[in-house]
Amino acid sequence: MTTSLIGRRPGDARPAGYALVRRGRASFLVHRRAAVAAGAIAVLTAALCVAYLCLGERYVAPTEVLNVLFGQDSGADFVVGELRLPRLALGLLVGAAFGVGGALIQTVARNPLASPDIIGVSQGASALTIGALTFGVGSFGVLPYFSVAGGVLAALAVYLFAWRRGMHAGRFVLIGIGVAIALRSVVHLFITKGDYLVAHQAQVWITGSLNGRGWDEAAPLGWTLLALAPCVVWAARAQRNTAFDDGTATALGVPLHRTRFGLALLGVLFASLATGAAGPVDFVALLAPQIARRLTRTAQIPLLCSALLGALIVVAADLPARLLFAPVELPVGVLTAAVGAPYLIWLIVRGRTGGRA
Amino acid sequence: MGWTTAAAVALLCAVLLSLAVGARHIAPGEAVHVLLHGGEGEAADIMWSLRVPRTVVGVMVGVALALAGTAIQGITRNPIGDPGVLGISQGAAVGVVLAISLAGVHSLSGYVWFAFVGAAAASVAVYAVASSGRGGATPVKLALAGAAINALLISVIQGMLTTDAATLDEFRFWQVGSIAGRDAALAGRIWPFLLVGTALVLSVARGLDALALGDDVAKGLGQKVATVRVVGGIGATVLTGVGVCAAGPIAFVGLAVPHIARALVGADHRWIMPMAALLGPVMLLVSDVLGRIVFPPGEIPAGVMTALTGVPFLIAMVRRKAVSA
Repeated sequence: MTTSLIGRRPGDARPAGYALVRRGRASFLVHRRAAVAAGAIAVLTAALCVAYLCLGERYVAPTEVLNVLFGQDSGADFVVGELRLPRLALGLLVGAAFGVGGALIQTVARNPLASPDIIGVSQGASALTIGALTFGVGSFGVLPYFSVAGGVLAALAVYLFAWRRGMHAGRFVLIGIGVAIALRSVVHLFITKGDYLVAHQAQVWITGSLNGRGWDEAAPLGWTLLALAPCVVWAARAQRNTAFDDGTATALGVPLHRTRFGLALLGVLFASLATGAAGPVDFVALLAPQIARRLTRTAQIPLLCSALLGALIVVAADLPARLLFAPVELPVGVLTAAVGAPYLIWLIVRGRTGGRA
Repeated sequence: MGWTTAAAVALLCAVLLSLAVGARHIAPGEAVHVLLHGGEGEAADIMWSLRVPRTVVGVMVGVALALAGTAIQGITRNPIGDPGVLGISQGAAVGVVLAISLAGVHSLSGYVWFAFVGAAAASVAVYAVASSGRGGATPVKLALAGAAINALLISVIQGMLTTDAATLDEFRFWQVGSIAGRDAALAGRIWPFLLVGTALVLSVARGLDALALGDDVAKGLGQKVATVRVVGGIGATVLTGVGVCAAGPIAFVGLAVPHIARALVGADHRWIMPMAALLGPVMLLVSDVLGRIVFPPGEIPAGVMTALTGVPFLIAMVRRKAVSA
C-alpha cells in the first residue's frame, strides 16, 4: 500500500520547501530554509555572546567565561557575571523584541519602511518617558510603563490620522514621519526643561543605550516577553492569513480587520517594551525583519529569525560601542543608526518603498 | 493685492504682539511709543535689550525659512518640501556641532559657515538619494530619504555629544529651535546672508513658474532648467543655513507657509514669494508668542510650537490628497 499513489498523496501535497514533522497525532510544517537560517543565526549569536563576555577593558579567557556561565567559581565572577552578563542579556532581549515588533508592524503595513522608529512609535515612547523623567514623575522602575503608553498612543494617533476610507501605505508613512518629527521636538523641549544631570541622562536614553543597565531592566522585560510568547505563536499563524489581498482573505473567512489590529497592537507593544528598557535603538526593527526575509526567502516575514537577528544586531553593535572609544561608551543606538540609515537609503534607491514588503 | 495688504497688517500685528507680550507685559501703545521716541525706564530697557532683538531675529528667520521652503517646493516640484522634513536643517546642525566640538568655534557668527556647508551637503545627499531609482523624487521617497539622512545625522550628533559633555550643554539649547535670548548683534551678522539668499531665490521666480509645468515645457519656454535648479538650490541652502544658524532647526514653517501663500495668491511665484516672506514671520512670531504665554513663567521654544501647529497642517494636506503618495 505504501507504494500506491493514494498513500503518497498527503506527503506530495505539502508545499515546496517545507518539511513535515510528525509527533504522534500532532504534525506541523517546518520551512527548511528558515529552520537552517534560524539555526545558523543562533550559533552565530552564541559565538558573538562569548566574544562579548570575553572582550572589554579587561580580557577574560573564553574558558573562564564558560566557568562563570555554568556557575563554577572563577576569578572573573564580577567582571563577567556582574558587569557584562546582565548587559548582554538586556541587549539580546531588546534586540529580539525590536525584531518581532518590527516584523509584525511591517507585515500589517505591508511596507518595509513602516518600522516603529520611522512612524513615530519610538518617538512617542521617548517623549512620554523623557517627560516623566524630567518632571520627576517616575523613578527608573516605572519608566517602561510610560514608554509602552507613549508608543501605543503615538501609533494609534498615526493610524487614526492616516485612516481615510481605508489605509494607504504612502499616507501612513508620510503622516508617521510628520508625527515623529513633532514628537522629537517635544523630546528636545523636555530635555531643555530638565537640569543638566537629567539632560545628560535623557540624551543617552533617547539614543538607545545599554550603558549601566542590567538585571533591573532585563528581568521585567524578559518576563513580559515570556508572557507575550503565546500571542507570538498566534501572530505567526495569523500573519499567514493577512498575506492575501483583502477580498480573498475576507472570502476565506479571515476576520481581517481584527487580525490586523491584533498584529499591529502586538508589534507596537513589543517595540515600546524594548524602547522602555533601553531607549529607542534605531533601525533594529527595520533591519532585522528585512534581512531575515531575504535569508529565508519565505513569503512572510519569519518571526523567529527576526527575533534572533534583532538580538544579533544589537549585541554586534554594542560590542564596538563599548570598545571603540573606551573608557567612554557610545550608546548602541548610534552604531545601529550608522549602519541602518545607509541600508534605508539603499532600500529607497532600489525603489522598494511604496510597494509591498 | 487685498491679500498682500492683509498679510502686511497681520505681520504688523504679530510684531506688536511679540513686542508687547511676555513675562513683563507692555501695552502695545507703550511699545509703539518706546519704539518711535526711545524713552526711559524698565519698559524701554526690556524692549531694547530683549524684545526688539528677538522680534527682529524672528522676522528674519521667518522670512528665510518661508522662502527656503517655497524654493525647495518649487525646485523639487514637491508639496512636502521643507528644510526640516528633508533633513537640511539637521545637516546644518551637524555643521554646528562639528564647529563647537572639533573646530572650537563658540560664536554664532562662526557657526554660520559650518551650518552652510552642512546644509548644502545634506540637501544634495537627500535629493540624490530620492531621485535615484524608479519613479524619480516622489513625495514619499523624498520624505523617506529625509528621514534616513535625519537619522544618520542625528546618530552622528548623538555620538559626538555623548563623548563630549561640554558641547552637549552648549548644544542642547540650540537644537530645540528658539529665538529667545538672541541679541541684536546676531541680526547684524546674518542680514547679508539673508539678503543674498533672498535675491538668489527671487531671481529664479519665473524659472520656478516654468518648472511647475514640467521639465520639457520649461525647456521649451526657454528656461535653463539646470541653472534654475542650481541657483534656487543655493539660495534655499543659504536661507536654511541662516534660519538654522540663528534659531536652531525650526521645522514646518517652510512647509506650511508656501501652501498658504499659494492658496491666497495663486501659482505665480513672483506673488507667492513676497506673500511667503510676509506670512513666514507671522507664523514664527505667533508661535513664539504662544510659547511665551502657554505655560508661564516658563517658555516653550518656537521650534516646538511650530512643529506642534505644523503637524496638523501636514496631516490635513496628506489626507486631502494634495500629496500624491
